[in-house]
Amino acid sequence: MSDASSTWNPYAPLAASTARALGVGAVLTVLVLWAVLTGFDLVSPNKLPSPWQVAKAFAYLVWDGENQRSLLWNATIWSLGRVFAAGVLVVAIGIPVGVLMGASTRVNAALSPLVDPFRSAPVVALLPIMVMWFGIGEWMKILFLYAGAVVYLIPLVRDAVRAVPQAYWISARDLGATPWECIRLAVLPLAMPRIADAVIVAVSVMWTYITVAEYVNAREGLGQLIQNARRFSAMDQVFAGIIVIIAFALLSYHLMRWIKGRLYPWETRV
Amino acid sequence: MTATDATQVSLDLRDIVQEYPQRDGTGTVRVIDGISLHLERPGIVMLLGPSGCGKSTLLHMMGGVRPIGTKTPTQGEVLIDGVPCHGAHDDVVMVFQRYANRPDLSVRENVAFPFRLKCWRERVPKAEAEQRVDAMIDAVGLGGHRNHLPSQLSGGQNQRVALARALVLRPRILLMDEPFGALDAQTRAEMQTLLVQLYEQNPCLIVFVTHDVTEALTLGDRVLVMSTAPAKIADDFAILEPRPRSSAWQRSTEAVRLEERILDQLHAKSSRRGSVTVSI
Ligand SMILES: Nc1ncnc2c1ncn2[C@@H]1O[C@H](COP(=O)(O)OP(=O)(O)O)[C@@H](O)[C@H]1O
Ligand SMILES: [Mg+2]
Repeated sequence: MSDASSTWNPYAPLAASTARALGVGAVLTVLVLWAVLTGFDLVSPNKLPSPWQVAKAFAYLVWDGENQRSLLWNATIWSLGRVFAAGVLVVAIGIPVGVLMGASTRVNAALSPLVDPFRSAPVVALLPIMVMWFGIGEWMKILFLYAGAVVYLIPLVRDAVRAVPQAYWISARDLGATPWECIRLAVLPLAMPRIADAVIVAVSVMWTYITVAEYVNAREGLGQLIQNARRFSAMDQVFAGIIVIIAFALLSYHLMRWIKGRLYPWETRV
Repeated sequence: MTATDATQVSLDLRDIVQEYPQRDGTGTVRVIDGISLHLERPGIVMLLGPSGCGKSTLLHMMGGVRPIGTKTPTQGEVLIDGVPCHGAHDDVVMVFQRYANRPDLSVRENVAFPFRLKCWRERVPKAEAEQRVDAMIDAVGLGGHRNHLPSQLSGGQNQRVALARALVLRPRILLMDEPFGALDAQTRAEMQTLLVQLYEQNPCLIVFVTHDVTEALTLGDRVLVMSTAPAKIADDFAILEPRPRSSAWQRSTEAVRLEERILDQLHAKSSRRGSVTVSI
Protein backbone atom coordinates (compact mmCIF):
# COMPACT_ATOMS: atom_id res chain seq x y z
CA MET A 1 0.00 0.00 0.00
CA SER A 2 1.35 3.45 -0.83
CA ASP A 3 1.93 5.90 1.98
CA ALA A 4 -0.62 8.37 0.64
CA SER A 5 -3.55 5.96 0.96
CA SER A 6 -2.50 4.60 4.32
CA THR A 7 -4.80 5.23 7.31
CA TRP A 8 -1.88 5.63 9.69
CA ASN A 9 -0.12 8.54 8.13
CA PRO A 10 -0.63 11.96 9.72
CA TYR A 11 0.60 13.70 6.53
CA ALA A 12 -1.62 11.87 4.07
CA PRO A 13 -3.78 14.27 2.05
CA LEU A 14 -7.52 13.76 2.48
CA ALA A 15 -10.10 14.83 -0.10
CA ALA A 16 -12.69 17.25 1.30
CA SER A 17 -15.48 14.90 0.20
CA THR A 18 -13.94 11.94 2.03
CA ALA A 19 -13.46 14.04 5.16
CA ARG A 20 -17.09 15.18 5.02
CA ALA A 21 -18.37 11.66 4.41
CA LEU A 22 -16.43 10.32 7.42
CA GLY A 23 -17.69 13.13 9.66
CA VAL A 24 -21.33 12.88 8.62
CA GLY A 25 -21.10 9.11 8.86
CA ALA A 26 -19.90 9.25 12.46
CA VAL A 27 -22.66 11.67 13.48
CA LEU A 28 -25.30 9.51 11.76
CA THR A 29 -23.95 6.41 13.52
CA VAL A 30 -24.36 8.07 16.89
CA LEU A 31 -27.88 9.21 15.96
CA VAL A 32 -28.84 5.69 14.89
CA LEU A 33 -27.35 4.22 18.05
CA TRP A 34 -29.27 6.80 20.06
CA ALA A 35 -32.50 5.98 18.19
CA VAL A 36 -32.00 2.23 18.71
CA LEU A 37 -31.21 2.56 22.41
CA THR A 38 -34.30 4.66 23.07
CA GLY A 39 -36.62 3.12 20.45
CA PHE A 40 -36.27 -0.37 21.91
CA ASP A 41 -36.55 0.97 25.47
CA LEU A 42 -33.05 -0.20 26.30
CA VAL A 43 -32.60 3.05 28.30
CA SER A 44 -35.28 4.74 30.34
CA PRO A 45 -36.61 7.94 28.68
CA ASN A 46 -36.02 9.73 31.98
CA LYS A 47 -32.31 9.21 31.47
CA LEU A 48 -32.08 9.49 27.72
CA PRO A 49 -34.96 10.93 25.72
CA SER A 50 -35.35 9.67 22.18
CA PRO A 51 -34.26 11.79 19.20
CA TRP A 52 -37.85 12.46 18.16
CA GLN A 53 -38.77 13.54 21.70
CA VAL A 54 -35.88 15.99 21.61
CA ALA A 55 -36.99 17.17 18.18
CA LYS A 56 -40.51 17.68 19.49
CA ALA A 57 -39.18 19.57 22.53
CA PHE A 58 -37.11 21.65 20.19
CA ALA A 59 -40.16 22.49 18.09
CA TYR A 60 -42.05 23.44 21.25
CA LEU A 61 -39.21 25.67 22.39
CA VAL A 62 -39.05 27.33 18.99
CA TRP A 63 -42.75 28.07 18.95
CA ASP A 64 -45.17 27.48 21.80
CA GLY A 65 -48.49 27.86 19.98
CA GLU A 66 -50.55 27.60 23.16
CA ASN A 67 -48.95 30.66 24.74
CA GLN A 68 -48.06 32.35 21.44
CA ARG A 69 -44.38 32.70 22.36
CA SER A 70 -40.94 31.45 21.41
CA LEU A 71 -39.08 30.40 24.53
CA LEU A 72 -35.97 29.63 22.54
CA TRP A 73 -35.81 32.96 20.73
CA ASN A 74 -36.17 34.85 23.98
CA ALA A 75 -33.57 32.72 25.78
CA THR A 76 -31.13 32.94 22.89
CA ILE A 77 -31.32 36.73 22.71
CA TRP A 78 -30.56 37.02 26.41
CA SER A 79 -27.66 34.56 26.35
CA LEU A 80 -26.20 36.07 23.21
CA GLY A 81 -26.47 39.50 24.77
CA ARG A 82 -24.59 38.35 27.87
CA VAL A 83 -21.86 36.61 25.87
CA PHE A 84 -21.55 39.69 23.68
CA ALA A 85 -21.37 42.15 26.59
CA ALA A 86 -18.82 39.99 28.42
CA GLY A 87 -16.91 39.50 25.14
CA VAL A 88 -16.57 43.26 24.67
CA LEU A 89 -15.18 43.55 28.20
CA VAL A 90 -12.84 40.59 27.72
CA VAL A 91 -11.41 42.02 24.50
CA ALA A 92 -11.26 45.62 25.75
CA ILE A 93 -9.35 44.66 28.91
CA GLY A 94 -7.71 41.33 28.10
CA ILE A 95 -5.97 42.34 24.86
CA PRO A 96 -4.28 45.50 26.20
CA VAL A 97 -3.17 43.71 29.37
CA GLY A 98 -1.88 40.72 27.41
CA VAL A 99 -0.05 42.95 24.93
CA LEU A 100 1.62 44.92 27.74
CA MET A 101 2.68 41.65 29.39
CA GLY A 102 4.01 40.33 26.09
CA ALA A 103 5.81 43.58 25.34
CA SER A 104 7.64 43.84 28.64
CA THR A 105 9.27 41.07 30.60
CA ARG A 106 8.97 43.31 33.67
CA VAL A 107 5.23 43.84 33.35
CA ASN A 108 4.92 40.10 32.73
CA ALA A 109 6.94 39.21 35.80
CA ALA A 110 4.71 41.44 37.89
CA LEU A 111 1.34 40.42 36.47
CA SER A 112 1.74 36.75 35.59
CA PRO A 113 1.46 35.53 39.24
CA LEU A 114 -1.83 37.44 39.37
CA VAL A 115 -3.20 36.01 36.11
CA ASP A 116 -1.67 32.64 35.22
CA PRO A 117 -2.81 30.63 38.30
CA PHE A 118 -6.43 31.52 37.56
CA ARG A 119 -6.36 29.49 34.37
CA SER A 120 -6.67 26.40 36.55
CA ALA A 121 -8.87 28.04 39.20
CA PRO A 122 -12.28 26.43 39.75
CA VAL A 123 -14.20 29.21 38.07
CA VAL A 124 -17.51 27.61 39.01
CA ALA A 125 -16.57 27.96 42.67
CA LEU A 126 -16.17 31.67 42.05
CA LEU A 127 -19.89 32.00 41.42
CA PRO A 128 -20.95 32.37 45.09
CA ILE A 129 -18.24 34.98 45.55
CA MET A 130 -19.40 36.87 42.47
CA VAL A 131 -22.95 36.77 43.87
CA MET A 132 -21.70 38.13 47.17
CA TRP A 133 -19.83 40.96 45.48
CA PHE A 134 -22.08 41.89 42.59
CA GLY A 135 -25.51 40.67 43.71
CA ILE A 136 -27.75 38.46 41.62
CA GLY A 137 -28.39 40.88 38.78
CA GLU A 138 -27.17 41.17 35.24
CA TRP A 139 -23.71 42.51 36.19
CA MET A 140 -22.91 39.40 38.20
CA LYS A 141 -23.55 37.17 35.17
CA ILE A 142 -21.58 39.32 32.77
CA LEU A 143 -18.66 39.71 35.18
CA PHE A 144 -18.64 35.98 35.84
CA LEU A 145 -18.37 35.24 32.10
CA TYR A 146 -15.75 37.96 31.83
CA ALA A 147 -13.64 36.54 34.66
CA GLY A 148 -13.89 33.00 33.31
CA ALA A 149 -12.73 34.01 29.82
CA VAL A 150 -10.24 36.79 30.49
CA VAL A 151 -7.91 34.51 32.47
CA TYR A 152 -7.59 32.42 29.31
CA LEU A 153 -7.28 35.36 26.95
CA ILE A 154 -4.53 37.30 28.73
CA PRO A 155 -1.86 34.54 28.74
CA LEU A 156 -2.71 33.59 25.15
CA VAL A 157 -2.34 37.20 23.98
CA ARG A 158 0.92 37.51 25.88
CA ASP A 159 2.25 34.34 24.25
CA ALA A 160 1.10 35.58 20.83
CA VAL A 161 3.17 38.74 21.25
CA ARG A 162 6.19 36.83 22.51
CA ALA A 163 6.01 34.35 19.63
CA VAL A 164 6.87 37.07 17.10
CA PRO A 165 10.48 36.42 16.03
CA GLN A 166 12.97 38.86 17.48
CA ALA A 167 14.37 39.52 13.98
CA TYR A 168 11.50 41.94 13.25
CA TRP A 169 12.23 43.87 16.42
CA ILE A 170 15.96 44.04 15.67
CA SER A 171 15.37 45.12 12.08
CA ALA A 172 12.90 47.86 13.07
CA ARG A 173 15.25 49.12 15.77
CA ASP A 174 18.04 49.28 13.21
CA LEU A 175 15.86 51.42 10.95
CA GLY A 176 15.44 53.89 13.79
CA ALA A 177 12.18 52.82 15.42
CA THR A 178 11.67 53.65 19.08
CA PRO A 179 10.87 50.63 21.29
CA TRP A 180 7.24 51.64 21.36
CA GLU A 181 7.18 51.98 17.55
CA CYS A 182 8.69 48.50 17.30
CA ILE A 183 5.84 47.09 19.36
CA ARG A 184 3.09 49.08 17.66
CA LEU A 185 4.31 48.87 14.05
CA ALA A 186 6.30 45.61 13.91
CA VAL A 187 5.49 43.18 16.71
CA LEU A 188 1.77 43.79 17.19
CA PRO A 189 0.70 43.47 13.54
CA LEU A 190 2.52 40.15 13.35
CA ALA A 191 0.93 38.93 16.59
CA MET A 192 -2.60 39.77 15.42
CA PRO A 193 -3.55 36.39 13.88
CA ARG A 194 -2.64 34.58 17.09
CA ILE A 195 -4.41 37.24 19.14
CA ALA A 196 -7.49 36.60 16.99
CA ASP A 197 -7.14 32.88 17.78
CA ALA A 198 -7.02 33.79 21.48
CA VAL A 199 -10.27 35.74 21.16
CA ILE A 200 -11.88 32.75 19.45
CA VAL A 201 -10.84 30.52 22.37
CA ALA A 202 -12.14 33.06 24.87
CA VAL A 203 -15.55 33.17 23.19
CA SER A 204 -15.71 29.35 23.20
CA VAL A 205 -14.93 29.40 26.92
CA MET A 206 -17.77 31.87 27.48
CA TRP A 207 -20.23 29.57 25.73
CA THR A 208 -19.24 26.73 28.04
CA TYR A 209 -19.77 28.97 31.10
CA ILE A 210 -23.09 30.46 30.01
CA THR A 211 -25.15 27.79 31.81
CA VAL A 212 -23.19 28.40 35.02
CA ALA A 213 -23.55 32.16 34.70
CA GLU A 214 -27.32 31.76 34.35
CA TYR A 215 -27.52 29.35 37.26
CA VAL A 216 -28.50 32.01 39.76
CA ASN A 217 -31.69 33.98 39.37
CA ALA A 218 -31.88 34.18 35.61
CA ARG A 219 -35.35 34.76 34.29
CA GLU A 220 -34.23 34.36 30.70
CA GLY A 221 -31.42 32.63 28.90
CA LEU A 222 -30.42 29.29 27.43
CA GLY A 223 -28.77 28.21 30.67
CA GLN A 224 -31.88 29.13 32.61
CA LEU A 225 -34.00 27.26 30.07
CA ILE A 226 -31.98 24.11 30.75
CA GLN A 227 -32.16 24.69 34.51
CA ASN A 228 -35.89 25.09 34.39
CA ALA A 229 -36.41 22.03 32.22
CA ARG A 230 -34.25 19.97 34.55
CA ARG A 231 -36.28 21.09 37.53
CA PHE A 232 -39.42 19.74 35.82
CA SER A 233 -37.54 16.63 34.70
CA ALA A 234 -38.12 17.54 31.06
CA MET A 235 -35.03 15.74 29.82
CA ASP A 236 -36.01 16.28 26.19
CA GLN A 237 -35.88 20.05 26.71
CA VAL A 238 -32.55 19.76 28.53
CA PHE A 239 -31.09 17.97 25.51
CA ALA A 240 -32.61 20.45 23.08
CA GLY A 241 -31.14 23.33 25.09
CA ILE A 242 -27.68 21.76 25.14
CA ILE A 243 -27.79 21.19 21.39
CA VAL A 244 -28.77 24.82 20.79
CA ILE A 245 -25.83 26.06 22.91
CA ILE A 246 -23.42 23.80 21.02
CA ALA A 247 -24.87 25.04 17.74
CA PHE A 248 -24.34 28.67 18.69
CA ALA A 249 -20.82 28.01 19.94
CA LEU A 250 -19.98 26.29 16.64
CA LEU A 251 -21.63 29.03 14.61
CA SER A 252 -19.74 31.80 16.37
CA TYR A 253 -16.53 29.78 16.09
CA HIS A 254 -16.81 29.42 12.34
CA LEU A 255 -17.95 33.01 11.90
CA MET A 256 -14.92 34.27 13.81
CA ARG A 257 -12.59 31.95 11.89
CA TRP A 258 -13.97 33.33 8.66
CA ILE A 259 -13.55 36.93 9.81
CA LYS A 260 -10.00 36.18 10.92
CA GLY A 261 -9.18 34.73 7.51
CA ARG A 262 -10.49 37.88 5.83
CA LEU A 263 -8.55 40.20 8.18
CA TYR A 264 -5.21 38.40 7.97
CA PRO A 265 -5.02 36.73 4.56
CA TRP A 266 -1.20 36.77 4.69
CA GLU A 267 -1.10 34.42 7.66
CA THR A 268 -2.07 31.25 5.82
CA ARG A 269 0.27 32.02 2.94
CA VAL A 270 3.45 32.34 5.01
CA MET B 1 29.54 71.65 1.02
CA THR B 2 29.56 69.54 -2.11
CA ALA B 3 27.48 66.42 -2.63
CA THR B 4 30.58 64.30 -2.17
CA ASP B 5 31.18 65.82 1.23
CA ALA B 6 27.63 65.07 2.28
CA THR B 7 28.22 61.37 1.72
CA GLN B 8 31.73 61.35 3.11
CA VAL B 9 31.92 59.04 6.07
CA SER B 10 34.46 57.30 8.22
CA LEU B 11 34.03 54.25 10.38
CA ASP B 12 36.58 53.43 13.04
CA LEU B 13 36.89 50.45 15.32
CA ARG B 14 39.30 51.00 18.22
CA ASP B 15 40.66 47.98 20.07
CA ILE B 16 37.39 46.09 19.94
CA VAL B 17 37.14 43.16 22.34
CA GLN B 18 34.00 41.07 22.59
CA GLU B 19 33.36 38.44 25.21
CA TYR B 20 30.21 36.38 25.46
CA PRO B 21 29.00 34.43 28.47
CA GLN B 22 29.64 30.72 27.92
CA ARG B 23 26.57 28.64 27.15
CA ASP B 24 26.98 26.50 30.29
CA GLY B 25 27.30 29.66 32.39
CA THR B 26 30.90 29.04 33.42
CA GLY B 27 32.69 32.27 32.66
CA THR B 28 33.13 33.97 29.31
CA VAL B 29 34.53 33.29 25.85
CA ARG B 30 36.57 35.88 24.06
CA VAL B 31 35.22 35.99 20.50
CA ILE B 32 36.94 39.11 19.24
CA ASP B 33 40.38 40.01 20.52
CA GLY B 34 41.40 43.58 19.93
CA ILE B 35 40.39 44.55 16.41
CA SER B 36 41.15 48.05 15.15
CA LEU B 37 40.06 49.23 11.73
CA HIS B 38 39.69 52.40 9.77
CA LEU B 39 37.18 52.37 6.90
CA GLU B 40 36.28 55.22 4.57
CA ARG B 41 33.90 55.72 1.74
CA PRO B 42 33.55 55.05 -1.03
CA GLY B 43 34.12 51.39 -1.28
CA ILE B 44 32.97 47.86 -0.81
CA VAL B 45 34.78 46.22 2.09
CA MET B 46 34.49 42.46 2.27
CA LEU B 47 34.71 40.85 5.68
CA LEU B 48 35.68 37.24 5.20
CA GLY B 49 36.14 34.53 7.77
CA PRO B 50 35.23 31.01 8.78
CA SER B 51 31.74 30.43 10.11
CA GLY B 52 31.38 31.30 13.79
CA CYS B 53 34.49 33.46 13.95
CA GLY B 54 32.60 36.63 14.93
CA LYS B 55 31.84 38.33 11.61
CA SER B 56 28.22 39.08 12.52
CA THR B 57 29.25 40.24 15.98
CA LEU B 58 31.67 42.74 14.48
CA LEU B 59 29.28 43.90 11.76
CA HIS B 60 26.40 44.37 14.17
CA MET B 61 28.45 46.66 16.37
CA MET B 62 29.31 48.83 13.39
CA GLY B 63 25.61 49.58 12.96
CA GLY B 64 24.66 49.80 16.59
CA VAL B 65 22.57 46.65 16.32
CA ARG B 66 23.21 45.28 19.76
CA PRO B 67 22.40 41.81 20.97
CA ILE B 68 19.85 41.90 23.76
CA GLY B 69 21.33 41.16 27.17
CA THR B 70 25.08 41.37 26.39
CA LYS B 71 27.26 44.46 26.51
CA THR B 72 28.84 45.07 23.10
CA PRO B 73 31.63 45.75 22.61
CA THR B 74 33.05 44.47 25.87
CA GLN B 75 35.98 46.84 25.39
CA GLY B 76 36.85 49.39 22.75
CA GLU B 77 34.91 51.91 20.79
CA VAL B 78 33.07 52.29 17.49
CA LEU B 79 33.30 55.75 15.97
CA ILE B 80 31.30 57.06 13.05
CA ASP B 81 32.73 60.31 11.64
CA GLY B 82 34.88 60.36 14.74
CA VAL B 83 31.86 60.32 17.08
CA PRO B 84 31.43 57.35 19.45
CA CYS B 85 28.37 55.32 18.44
CA HIS B 86 26.43 53.41 21.06
CA GLY B 87 23.00 52.68 19.57
CA ALA B 88 21.26 52.50 16.20
CA HIS B 89 22.72 55.12 13.88
CA ASP B 90 20.75 57.05 11.26
CA ASP B 91 23.45 56.78 8.64
CA VAL B 92 23.92 53.05 9.00
CA VAL B 93 21.44 50.47 7.76
CA MET B 94 21.78 46.73 7.87
CA VAL B 95 20.62 44.02 5.46
CA PHE B 96 20.21 40.67 7.18
CA GLN B 97 20.74 37.22 5.71
CA ARG B 98 17.18 36.23 6.52
CA TYR B 99 16.02 39.57 5.04
CA ALA B 100 13.46 40.27 7.82
CA ASN B 101 10.72 41.16 5.33
CA ARG B 102 7.34 41.57 6.93
CA PRO B 103 4.99 38.78 5.81
CA ASP B 104 1.93 40.97 6.43
CA LEU B 105 3.07 43.85 4.22
CA SER B 106 3.21 44.08 0.44
CA VAL B 107 6.50 44.72 -1.35
CA ARG B 108 5.73 48.42 -1.51
CA GLU B 109 4.71 48.62 2.14
CA ASN B 110 7.86 46.75 3.13
CA VAL B 111 10.07 49.18 1.26
CA ALA B 112 8.12 52.18 2.60
CA PHE B 113 8.17 50.87 6.16
CA PRO B 114 11.02 53.09 7.44
CA PHE B 115 9.01 56.18 6.49
CA ARG B 116 6.29 55.17 8.92
CA LEU B 117 8.77 55.74 11.75
CA LYS B 118 8.77 59.11 13.44
CA CYS B 119 12.48 59.78 12.94
CA TRP B 120 12.18 59.46 9.14
CA ARG B 121 8.76 61.14 8.86
CA GLU B 122 10.29 64.20 10.43
CA ARG B 123 13.19 64.26 8.01
CA VAL B 124 11.70 63.20 4.68
CA PRO B 125 8.52 64.85 3.36
CA LYS B 126 5.78 62.41 2.40
CA ALA B 127 5.87 63.21 -1.31
CA GLU B 128 9.61 62.67 -1.47
CA ALA B 129 9.33 59.44 0.49
CA GLU B 130 6.72 58.08 -1.94
CA GLN B 131 8.84 59.02 -4.91
CA ARG B 132 11.99 57.45 -3.40
CA VAL B 133 10.12 54.24 -2.61
CA ASP B 134 8.76 53.88 -6.13
CA ALA B 135 12.10 54.69 -7.73
CA MET B 136 13.90 52.19 -5.52
CA ILE B 137 11.40 49.40 -6.23
CA ASP B 138 12.03 49.97 -9.94
CA ALA B 139 15.78 50.11 -9.38
CA VAL B 140 15.85 46.67 -7.76
CA GLY B 141 13.66 45.29 -10.55
CA LEU B 142 10.48 44.67 -8.57
CA GLY B 143 8.31 47.14 -10.49
CA GLY B 144 5.87 44.40 -11.38
CA HIS B 145 5.58 43.07 -7.84
CA ARG B 146 4.59 46.17 -5.85
CA ASN B 147 1.46 44.62 -4.38
CA HIS B 148 2.75 41.11 -3.85
CA LEU B 149 3.37 39.65 -0.42
CA PRO B 150 6.88 38.38 0.45
CA SER B 151 5.53 34.83 0.54
CA GLN B 152 4.71 35.17 -3.17
CA LEU B 153 8.32 36.05 -4.02
CA SER B 154 11.46 33.97 -4.45
CA GLY B 155 14.45 34.21 -2.11
CA GLY B 156 16.32 36.51 -4.48
CA GLN B 157 13.30 38.79 -4.87
CA ASN B 158 12.92 38.91 -1.10
CA GLN B 159 16.52 39.98 -0.76
CA ARG B 160 15.82 42.70 -3.34
CA VAL B 161 13.02 43.97 -1.11
CA ALA B 162 15.38 44.07 1.87
CA LEU B 163 18.00 45.87 -0.18
CA ALA B 164 15.45 48.43 -1.39
CA ARG B 165 14.20 49.03 2.17
CA ALA B 166 17.75 49.78 3.28
CA LEU B 167 18.64 51.97 0.30
CA VAL B 168 15.52 54.21 0.36
CA LEU B 169 17.09 55.76 3.44
CA ARG B 170 20.22 56.63 1.43
CA PRO B 171 22.52 55.41 4.19
CA ARG B 172 26.14 56.46 4.11
CA ILE B 173 27.08 53.07 5.52
CA LEU B 174 25.38 49.87 4.35
CA LEU B 175 26.08 46.73 6.35
CA MET B 176 25.31 43.38 4.77
CA ASP B 177 25.47 40.16 6.80
CA GLU B 178 25.89 37.26 4.35
CA PRO B 179 22.94 38.68 2.40
CA PHE B 180 23.23 36.26 -0.52
CA GLY B 181 24.39 33.27 1.50
CA ALA B 182 21.10 31.40 1.20
CA LEU B 183 20.67 31.95 -2.55
CA ASP B 184 21.55 29.56 -5.36
CA ALA B 185 24.64 30.36 -7.45
CA GLN B 186 22.72 31.82 -10.39
CA THR B 187 20.60 34.12 -8.23
CA ARG B 188 23.62 35.12 -6.15
CA ALA B 189 25.46 36.24 -9.29
CA GLU B 190 22.41 38.31 -10.33
CA MET B 191 22.23 39.91 -6.91
CA GLN B 192 25.94 40.73 -6.97
CA THR B 193 25.51 42.46 -10.33
CA LEU B 194 22.54 44.40 -8.98
CA LEU B 195 24.45 45.46 -5.87
CA VAL B 196 27.34 46.74 -7.96
CA GLN B 197 24.91 48.69 -10.20
CA LEU B 198 23.20 50.30 -7.23
CA TYR B 199 26.55 51.06 -5.68
CA GLU B 200 27.83 52.78 -8.82
CA GLN B 201 24.68 54.96 -8.93
CA ASN B 202 24.96 55.92 -5.28
CA PRO B 203 28.36 55.10 -3.80
CA CYS B 204 28.49 54.59 -0.06
CA LEU B 205 30.57 52.56 2.35
CA ILE B 206 29.44 48.95 2.15
CA VAL B 207 30.71 46.44 4.66
CA PHE B 208 29.81 43.03 3.30
CA VAL B 209 30.20 39.86 5.36
CA THR B 210 30.69 36.63 3.48
CA HIS B 211 32.32 33.25 3.84
CA ASP B 212 32.50 32.85 0.06
CA VAL B 213 35.96 33.61 -1.37
CA THR B 214 34.65 34.12 -4.91
CA GLU B 215 32.10 36.63 -3.68
CA ALA B 216 34.83 38.56 -1.88
CA LEU B 217 36.91 38.69 -5.09
CA THR B 218 33.90 39.64 -7.23
CA LEU B 219 32.74 42.56 -5.12
CA GLY B 220 35.50 43.85 -2.88
CA ASP B 221 37.60 46.98 -3.14
CA ARG B 222 39.20 45.82 0.05
CA VAL B 223 39.17 42.38 1.64
CA LEU B 224 39.54 41.79 5.37
CA VAL B 225 40.21 38.19 6.40
CA MET B 226 39.38 37.29 9.97
CA SER B 227 41.01 34.57 12.03
CA THR B 228 39.05 32.64 14.56
CA ALA B 229 38.83 31.83 18.28
CA PRO B 230 39.44 34.61 19.12
CA ALA B 231 39.10 36.69 15.96
CA LYS B 232 41.71 39.15 14.76
CA ILE B 233 42.25 40.70 11.37
CA ALA B 234 44.57 38.18 9.75
CA ASP B 235 44.86 39.73 6.32
CA ASP B 236 43.85 42.99 4.72
CA PHE B 237 44.41 43.83 1.05
CA ALA B 238 42.98 45.93 -1.75
CA ILE B 239 41.75 44.79 -5.16
CA LEU B 240 42.27 47.46 -7.79
CA GLU B 241 40.55 45.69 -10.69
CA PRO B 242 37.49 47.78 -11.66
CA ARG B 243 34.02 46.27 -11.45
CA PRO B 244 32.24 44.50 -13.05
CA ARG B 245 35.05 41.96 -12.98
CA SER B 246 35.10 39.76 -16.02
CA SER B 247 35.37 36.00 -15.81
CA ALA B 248 38.70 36.40 -17.63
CA TRP B 249 39.96 38.41 -14.66
CA GLN B 250 38.53 35.83 -12.25
CA ARG B 251 40.83 33.29 -13.96
CA SER B 252 43.84 35.63 -14.16
CA THR B 253 46.97 34.90 -12.14
CA GLU B 254 46.22 37.92 -9.95
CA ALA B 255 42.79 36.60 -8.95
CA VAL B 256 44.04 33.07 -8.48
CA ARG B 257 46.90 34.29 -6.31
CA LEU B 258 44.50 36.31 -4.17
CA GLU B 259 42.21 33.32 -3.83
CA GLU B 260 45.10 31.12 -2.70
CA ARG B 261 46.22 33.81 -0.27
CA ILE B 262 42.75 33.89 1.32
CA LEU B 263 42.38 30.10 1.39
CA ASP B 264 45.81 29.70 2.96
CA GLN B 265 44.80 32.17 5.64
CA LEU B 266 41.49 30.40 6.32
CA HIS B 267 43.13 26.98 6.42
CA ALA B 268 45.97 28.23 8.62
CA LYS B 269 43.25 29.17 11.05
CA SER B 270 41.61 25.79 11.25
CA SER B 271 44.92 23.93 11.65
CA ARG B 272 46.55 26.38 14.07
CA ARG B 273 43.61 27.66 16.11
CA GLY B 274 44.23 30.83 18.06
CA SER B 275 47.57 31.62 16.46
CA VAL B 276 47.53 34.80 14.45
CA THR B 277 49.53 35.64 11.40
CA VAL B 278 49.20 39.20 10.21
CA SER B 279 50.39 40.04 6.74
CA ILE B 280 49.22 43.30 5.33
N1 LIG C 1 24.49 36.89 21.94
C1 LIG C 1 25.43 35.92 22.06
N2 LIG C 1 25.63 35.29 23.24
C2 LIG C 1 26.58 34.34 23.35
N3 LIG C 1 27.37 33.92 22.36
C3 LIG C 1 27.21 34.50 21.15
C4 LIG C 1 26.24 35.52 20.93
N4 LIG C 1 26.31 35.90 19.63
C5 LIG C 1 27.30 35.16 19.08
N5 LIG C 1 27.84 34.32 19.97
C6 LIG C 1 28.96 33.40 19.72
O1 LIG C 1 30.03 34.15 19.20
C7 LIG C 1 30.66 33.47 18.14
C8 LIG C 1 30.67 34.32 16.90
O2 LIG C 1 29.36 34.46 16.42
P1 LIG C 1 29.01 35.25 15.08
O3 LIG C 1 29.47 36.65 15.23
O4 LIG C 1 27.56 35.07 14.80
O5 LIG C 1 29.90 34.50 14.00
P2 LIG C 1 29.82 34.51 12.40
O6 LIG C 1 28.89 35.56 11.97
O7 LIG C 1 31.22 34.75 11.96
O8 LIG C 1 29.38 33.14 11.97
C9 LIG C 1 29.92 32.16 17.95
O9 LIG C 1 30.68 31.14 18.58
C10 LIG C 1 28.61 32.38 18.66
O10 LIG C 1 28.17 31.18 19.24
MG1 LIG D 1 26.99 35.39 10.93
